[in-house]
Amino acid sequence: MNAFDSLTGALAALLILPGGLALMLIGLIYEWANRKLIARLQNRLGPRWFQPLADVIKLLAKQSIVPAAAHPTLFALLPMIALASVLTSALALPMLGLAPAYAFPGDLIVTVCLLSLLTLCLSLAGFGTDSSFGLVGAMRALMQLFSYEAPFLLALLGPAAAAGSWQIDVIMRYAEANPWMLFTQPLGFFVAVVGLMAKLEMAPFDAPEAHTEIVSGPLTEYGGRHLALFRLSKDTALVIGLTLVAGLYLGGIADPLTFLVKTLALLVLITGVQALFARLRIDQSTTLWWRYVMILLLVQWLVMMVSRG
Amino acid sequence: MTETSRLLEQAAQITTPWGKSFTAPEANRLDVVIDANDLPAAAAALNAACWGYLAAITGLDRGADDGRIEALYHFCAGAAVAALRVTTPRAEARLPSICAAYPSASIFERELSEMLGVTFVGTPDVTPLFLPEDWSPDAYPLRKDIDLSQPNTVPVRPPPTNGENGKHFIIPIGPQHPALKEPGHFEFSVAGETVIGATVRLGYAHRGIEKAVEQRNWVQDLYLLERICGICSHIHATAYCLGVEKLAEVTVPPRAETIRTLFAELERLHSHMLWLGVAAHEAGFDTLFMAAWRDRETVMDLLEQISGNRVHYSVNVLGGVKFDLEPQHIDALLNGAAFIEERARYYFDLVNHDPLFNRRTRGVGVMTAEQAETIGVVGPTARGSGIVRDVRVEAPYLAYTRCPVEPIVETDGDLAARFSVRIRELLESCRLIRVLLETLPEGALQTRMPRRIRAGEAISRVEAPRGELFYFVKSGGGEMPERIHARTPTLCNLASALILSIGRPLADIPMILVGVDPCFSCNDRTATIHTADGSAEDETWTWERLRRYGIEATR
Amino acid sequence: MNTLNLPERWRDAVETVKRWSRINSPWALHFNSGSCNGCDIELLATLTPRFDLERLGVKLQASPRQADILICTGPVTRLARERLLRVYEQMPSPKYVIALGACAVSGGVFQGCYNVVGRVDAVLPVDVYVPGCPPRPEAIIDGMVKLLAQLQAGEKEKPG
Repeated sequence: MNAFDSLTGALAALLILPGGLALMLIGLIYEWANRKLIARLQNRLGPRWFQPLADVIKLLAKQSIVPAAAHPTLFALLPMIALASVLTSALALPMLGLAPAYAFPGDLIVTVCLLSLLTLCLSLAGFGTDSSFGLVGAMRALMQLFSYEAPFLLALLGPAAAAGSWQIDVIMRYAEANPWMLFTQPLGFFVAVVGLMAKLEMAPFDAPEAHTEIVSGPLTEYGGRHLALFRLSKDTALVIGLTLVAGLYLGGIADPLTFLVKTLALLVLITGVQALFARLRIDQSTTLWWRYVMILLLVQWLVMMVSRG
Repeated sequence: MTETSRLLEQAAQITTPWGKSFTAPEANRLDVVIDANDLPAAAAALNAACWGYLAAITGLDRGADDGRIEALYHFCAGAAVAALRVTTPRAEARLPSICAAYPSASIFERELSEMLGVTFVGTPDVTPLFLPEDWSPDAYPLRKDIDLSQPNTVPVRPPPTNGENGKHFIIPIGPQHPALKEPGHFEFSVAGETVIGATVRLGYAHRGIEKAVEQRNWVQDLYLLERICGICSHIHATAYCLGVEKLAEVTVPPRAETIRTLFAELERLHSHMLWLGVAAHEAGFDTLFMAAWRDRETVMDLLEQISGNRVHYSVNVLGGVKFDLEPQHIDALLNGAAFIEERARYYFDLVNHDPLFNRRTRGVGVMTAEQAETIGVVGPTARGSGIVRDVRVEAPYLAYTRCPVEPIVETDGDLAARFSVRIRELLESCRLIRVLLETLPEGALQTRMPRRIRAGEAISRVEAPRGELFYFVKSGGGEMPERIHARTPTLCNLASALILSIGRPLADIPMILVGVDPCFSCNDRTATIHTADGSAEDETWTWERLRRYGIEATR
Repeated sequence: MNTLNLPERWRDAVETVKRWSRINSPWALHFNSGSCNGCDIELLATLTPRFDLERLGVKLQASPRQADILICTGPVTRLARERLLRVYEQMPSPKYVIALGACAVSGGVFQGCYNVVGRVDAVLPVDVYVPGCPPRPEAIIDGMVKLLAQLQAGEKEKPG
């Protein structure tokens, strides 16, 4: 294999599979699955399969208004950084049965941090627009980030500790070879799922963008292509989050079919929870994370350490 | 009737020191003419004797010839209505405020001063209420001689209100806001997530219906008043019809009475289910919103099947009703009631036992019975705080005289109690529908009405889904009414939402607001404003200060 | 808008995709400019299970920045006029207006009331009128579909 071939191969992997376009498309389809499922649970017909795609294209083709109070460069840059960071976080993930584009020891931490960059960008977007809804939304998003981030990371580190590696594809290979960690570390799985919902700001953790209180939260002033990029980032983050949790806890994702079945199963689970609950107030969700979830996790880690002797 | 006459006798005794004349225009009414200067004393005496509550203040312009403006202070206790009548010269209209005895009078006084140009001496709040900022300060819409062909504007621009104000953020809600399906503009100042001040600006839906009714004839007014509110259109029309029929001394056939009552209960069903859905939506519980609205379609179908319309069903005509009940309607109604009953039981269980939902409702927006009395709330909002205030029980009208209503009361006073009251009322309404259908009398649907209505005044009180609706109808003997005054339940309830907001997290605000089921369209045929002390924005409010504000703000 | 120098055929293709996306993703914003509630509750009903406008891609948006269609109910009152204009100006192009209900279409029973400016098209350019007091949910959906059909036919092309 010469240098040129490996370069084009890497580029293709970055842009098309598993990175870039394919990832965003999967993200859009998963968003549809999520919306359709919610609609069905609410006894509605729900959107058509191409709905998220049409939404994004329409937004891209719309006039973009930059509010006078916002910094024009920052306003435009934040969605780009958000999308870029989310796409970068996919590099270390094995997806659709393909090997990760760029794996290295410790990439689990980097991936989770890159995902958090999305939340940070969202908050900055809220702070940057000088709208009271945006400010409150941004504040809530950060507050929630600080409360779920540590438990979520610890929940993902459970399988890592079991596998003895902090490299995602190594852990996933370990997960394939061993019993599902859903059963060996049930509490960790629970926290990982709930943490994922918080990360994606799904109900009941949607306080940062609670429509009835603060319109669209940090994104209130965003429209057109800037909003489209944020939506794409969120959809991509959904796929990445599902892949992570499914890969670590549901016995790995060796081939495309297993990948689809396991991530979709997980999506069904979180959608069900999403449809079932009322929104938590921000103080309630913070309390929940630090007072209850954290204790669950500590119990899980204690059990793990004791059983390992 | 003995209880009512005893109450009226008591009212006459209390007001004897000031009363210049005592008349009884209807069996359950007492009009006491007093001197304007004696008003605070007489009101304080009624308050001290705990005689009823202040239901409304009606202002009447008696015209240029008479040269006076008359104000009627309606107090209600059970079925009895006692009115203190005072007059003041038109040229310099001035009345003493009764806010010291009745803090809830504040909004009525402001309504009156803006609409009729009466200056209230000692009233705590004199800011404009519901007319636009550029409305001329010398034009009073409800005076008889106002020239409405002129725009009546003065060149003023409202100051910008959005954004930061001193140290605190102002979170504007409305007039276009997802939490409000109707326009009202609230501003909540927050410190972090906690609300420390609340103001409301209404009038976005103020159309001036009370003036418009004076320019249309009795029949046209029925359709105009129906359109005060799209949710409770039937009850507005019913209150109006009851008043006009009283004036015309027309008796409505019993079958028509039952059909009116039946529609009022159907309206309550669809209104409460609508509310349940919207309230759940405010809490971010969209699945319940969808479920409630799906089940509500059953009621909409029933309304449509009988009347042909889903929303403005327009059942009433003066002297009776338009639509008869066919046998197939009765079957459909019974099935519908059974279905709603089953669903209501399920919802009751859900809102009382869902742990996450309960975290959003239990202990949130607590209003004690004393507070509720002071603020003067009505309807389910009052009943959630343990006060039995239901016109159907206290002063039965239409078929409620034959089919008594069981009042639904909860004592917790929080949002959960308001949920429980409204859902249990669904059950009660279903029961009523069954009883009404069982006792449906045979006979005619309408009585002939005269085109001109005999001169006089009538008061009708009915229980709208949101609480007591108070209508005052005055005829001069012509083809058009001289004055129609509608006091809607939201006018009484809205102040409570603002007071309860203070000190709560921002996330609770939409739920507290919706908890009283505000209806701005109802309200804004005339409207009100309630302000925090603007100069105090930069200070830290102590709990004592908040409490005091809560008390004072209602005055 | 088109700064790229694309061949004719490509530009047509891009336009077709844009139009397709616009027709399939009409996000709406509801503004009550003084309505009696009747239209508003019927509009809300179109989102609920029996009618479910999400089938057509309609989403009721909270922020004007994210909306394509302004659905206006009620006669325009004096106080609401300024807000209505402001909300419309906050919306990015291309944007469309639906006047919902007899009052928004003509002023309805509130014609001549002192605090009413008049019908919606006295303030904003209206694309589709949906009459009725209030219009049934089916009529609202029909109005929406008619607007989308106009977009399809290219009648409503606006600079965007």
